[in-house]
Amino acid sequence: MNATVAQTRRATDTASRYAATGLLIRLALRQSRALYVTWIAALTLTTVATVLAYERVVPPGANAELTMAALGGNPTMRAMLGPPFDLMNPGGFTMWRVGTFVAAALAWMAAFGVIRATRAEEEDGRLELLRAGAVGRRAPLTAAVLVAAAACLCTGVFIAVSLTAAAPPARSALAVGLGIALVGLVGAGIGAVTAQVSESARGARGLASAALGAAYLMRAVADGSAEASGLRPLAWLSPLEWAALARPYAAERWWVLVLPLALAVSLVWLGFRLESVRDHGAGLRSAGQGPARGAAGLSGVVGLAVRLHRSSLIGWAAGVAVFAVAMGSLSDAFSTMVSDLPELAEIFRRMGGGAQDLREAFYVAMLGLIVIVLAMLGVQVLGTLRREEERGHAELLLSTAVPRRGLALSHIVPAIAAPTVLMAICGALLGLNEALGAGSVEPMGRVAWAGLVLTPGVWVCVGVAMVLHGWLPQHAGLAWALVGWSLFVAWIGAVLGLPDWLRSATPFAALPTLPVESMDWIAVLLHTALAVVFVAVGLAGYRRRNIGGG
Amino acid sequence: MSAPIDISGLRKTFGSTVALDSLDLTVKAGEIHGFLGPNGSGKSTTIRVLLGLLRADGGTVRLLGGRPWEDAPALHRRLAYVPGDVSLWPNLTGGEAIDLLGRARGGIDEGRRAELLERFDLDPSKKGRTYSKGNRQKVALVAALASDVELLLLDEPTSGLDPLMERQFNEVISENRREGQSVLLSSHILTEVEALCDHVSIIKAGRVVESGTLAQLRHLTRTQVAATLRTPPPADFAALAGVHDLHVVGTRLTCQVDASGLSELLVRLAALGVDTLSSSPPTLEELFLRHYDERV
Ligand SMILES: Nc1ncnc2c1ncn2[C@@H]1O[C@H](COP(=O)(O)OP(=O)(O)OP(=O)(O)O)[C@@H](O)[C@H]1O
Ligand SMILES: [Mg+2]
Repeated sequence: MNATVAQTRRATDTASRYAATGLLIRLALRQSRALYVTWIAALTLTTVATVLAYERVVPPGANAELTMAALGGNPTMRAMLGPPFDLMNPGGFTMWRVGTFVAAALAWMAAFGVIRATRAEEEDGRLELLRAGAVGRRAPLTAAVLVAAAACLCTGVFIAVSLTAAAPPARSALAVGLGIALVGLVGAGIGAVTAQVSESARGARGLASAALGAAYLMRAVADGSAEASGLRPLAWLSPLEWAALARPYAAERWWVLVLPLALAVSLVWLGFRLESVRDHGAGLRSAGQGPARGAAGLSGVVGLAVRLHRSSLIGWAAGVAVFAVAMGSLSDAFSTMVSDLPELAEIFRRMGGGAQDLREAFYVAMLGLIVIVLAMLGVQVLGTLRREEERGHAELLLSTAVPRRGLALSHIVPAIAAPTVLMAICGALLGLNEALGAGSVEPMGRVAWAGLVLTPGVWVCVGVAMVLHGWLPQHAGLAWALVGWSLFVAWIGAVLGLPDWLRSATPFAALPTLPVESMDWIAVLLHTALAVVFVAVGLAGYRRRNIGGG
Repeated sequence: MSAPIDISGLRKTFGSTVALDSLDLTVKAGEIHGFLGPNGSGKSTTIRVLLGLLRADGGTVRLLGGRPWEDAPALHRRLAYVPGDVSLWPNLTGGEAIDLLGRARGGIDEGRRAELLERFDLDPSKKGRTYSKGNRQKVALVAALASDVELLLLDEPTSGLDPLMERQFNEVISENRREGQSVLLSSHILTEVEALCDHVSIIKAGRVVESGTLAQLRHLTRTQVAATLRTPPPADFAALAGVHDLHVVGTRLTCQVDASGLSELLVRLAALGVDTLSSSPPTLEELFLRHYDERV
C-alpha cells in the first residue's frame, strides 16, 4: 500500500518536473525555426553538392587511383578533413571531403541552439516568467535538447536519403547520416552542460566553442601527423571524428557510433544534474564582490570597451595561439615534394590546396581557415555595439557627453585590430616549428606576412557589419551570412566547381595567397579602401538614426 | 536666460504609430516639472528626443539653449538622465558603473558621490547582475545626482524604490532645487509629483492636454459638495451651471461642481438654509484619472 503511494508520488514528481515541455518545445521552435531550417538546408546541400561533384573532381582514367591516394595521403588535407577510407567511391569521398566538417558544424548548431533556448532566455528574464507558470523545472532544458536533437536527426535523415540516391548502398548512406546526426547530438550535450556552467549566454557560447574547437584541433593534429607517429590514435579522443571513424562506405564499423550516443546521453545527463544544483539565473560559481571604485582607466567608452572585450579576447588569443602552434608542429611531417603527376597538380588546384610544395600548401590552407575564424571574431566584437544598444547601455552612455562616433569607434577599433594582431601572431606561430628547424626567424615572418595580407578581408566583413548596424540594425545578423558564405566557399567552393564569379564573391577570394600567388598590392589596397568606405558609411548611418528604436 | 527645455509642435512617428503629435512643453529654469500621462502616451519618447537618441520628425526643440540632436555630447555635460528601467553592465560593479557614467559626463563630485551612496544605503561593490531592481535604480540615481548639472531628465526614476528611499530621493531633489537645478520628472507616483513639482503637464496620446501648477489644475476640476438642508431643493437644481452628479435624498444633497459654478451653488444653498456643509477638493487621483480617462 505504502509502496504504491510512494510510487504514485514519484510518478507525479517526475511528471511535474517535465510539465509543459510540449509548450516550451513549441516556443523554442517558434523562436529558432528559421535558424534551424537555414542550418539544416545548408548542411544537407553541402553534402549533396559534394557527392554530385564527384564525377567532375575525380577524372576517370588510369591515374585516378593514384591521384586519390596522393590526395588522401596529403597531410594538409588529412589535417583539415580527417582520415580518408575509400576515395574511389563517391560516398566515401563525400564523407571524407565534407562529412567531418558537416558533423562539426551540426554540433556547433546544436550547442548554440540549446544555449539560445535555455541560458539566453534565462539571462533575459523570459524563462523566469515561464517558470512562474505551471512549467516543470526540467522542461526548458528538455525542450531545448529535444528540439536540437530533432534538428540533428532531420539533417541526418536528409543526408542519408540523398546519399542513398546518389551513392548507394543505403546501408553506407545511413552510416553517414547517423554518424553526423549523433555527432550533432554531442553538440547538444555540450550546449546543455555549458549553459549551466556560465551565467551568461555569451560565456556559455564561448565555452561550447572552445570545447568544439579543441576537439577539432585534436583530430587535426592526430590526422595530420605522420603515419608512424604516436599521435595518430588521439583522433579517437575527438568526438568530431567518430562519424568518420565508423568508416562509412568502407566496411562500416557500426559499434563506433555507440560512442557519440553514449557521450551525448552522458552530457545531457550531466547538464540536468548541474541544472538541479544551481539557482535560476546563476552559473555554477556565485558572483563575488568587486571594486567599489572604477579604476582610473574606466573613464569613458575606451575603458569600458576594454572591460567588455578583455576576457573574451584573451580566450580567443589563447585558443588561436594553441591552434597555430599545434598545426605548425605538423609541418615536420612534410617534405617538399613536387609531384610529377600532372593530374595530381590539377586535382590539388581543384581541391583548393593550390601549391605543390606541401608545406606552403599547408600554410595557405591553414591561413585561409584562420582568417575566416578571425572574421567571426571581428563580427562578434562589433556585435557588442548592437547588444549594448538592445540592453539600454548605449542609451545610458549617450545621455552623457559621449558622442555617437566615439561609442561606435570603441567597438569598431577592436573589431578591426584584434583579428589583425591575432592573424599576425597566428602566422608567426604557424611558422614557429619550421623556424626552429631552420634556425632562422624568416619562416615566422614569412607566414605572418602571408596572414596579414589576408586581413583586409576581415576588415571588409567588419565594414559590412557596421553598414548593417548603421542602416539596418534589425538585420545586423546578416553579417554572419557573409562570413558563413566565405567559409562555405573556402571549404568546398573549388570542389563544387562553383562558377568563378560566385567563388570570387567573398571578401577573401581576391586577396593574394602568398607565397603561392604573387603579392597583389592593388587587391590589398582596394579591400582596405572598401573596408574604410564601409565603416564610414556605417558610421554615417549610425550617427543619423534613432537609438533604441526603429 | 532661456528655458532649459522648450518644445513646440514636436512630432515623432514610428512607422504608422504616431508617438508624439504636436507636443508643446516648456520647463523654466529652476522648476521641477512633473510629466504625467497614461502608459504609451509618449513620455519616454519625449525624453529620448531631448537626449538626441531619437530624431524629431517635426517641430522645434531647444534644450539648454541648444539643439538636442546636433549638439548632443556638449549639452549632455550639463544634464543627467535616469531611465525607469536600468540595465547595468553585468561584469561591472555598481561603483564602477557610477564612476564610468559620471566621468563620461565630464566629472563627478566625489563628496557628493560618497554622501549619496550613504543616503541611498547602496553597496557599490556588487556586480551589476547581482543587484536587486531597486538597487539597480539607485546606481543610476547616484550616477546622475552626483554630477553637478543644470538639468535632470528623470523617467520614472523611483520605480522600484522602497518608501524610505523614495523619501530620500524627494529630499535630494528638493535640496537641488534650492541650488537652481531644473528637473523634468516623468512619474506615475502622484504623491511624489504632489510633493515635488511646481508645475505639471499631462500628456495624452502624444499631446499635452493640460499644463499648469497643481493649484491651477485643481481649479479646473470639480469640488465634491455634501450638504444637509433645511428645505428640500427644487427640481431645477440639477440644471444649475457646473453642477454634476447631483443626488438628493430628502434634505440631503451631494453633488460635484466645477470651480466656475461653485459661487452660484453656494448662494442657492444658503437660500435654502444649510444645516451641515462639507466640501472637499478633488484628490490628486481623481484629478489625474479624469485626464487619463479617454471618455472624459
Ligand atoms: N521604437 C519604437 N518603435 C515603435 N513604436 C514605439 C517605439 N518607441 C515607442 N513607441 C510607441 O510610442 C508610443 C509612446 O511610447 P512611450 O514609451 O513614449 O510611452 P510612455 O509615455 O513613456 O509610457 P509608459 O508610461 O508606459 O512608460 C507608444 O505607443 C509606443 O508603443
Ligand atoms: Mg515610459
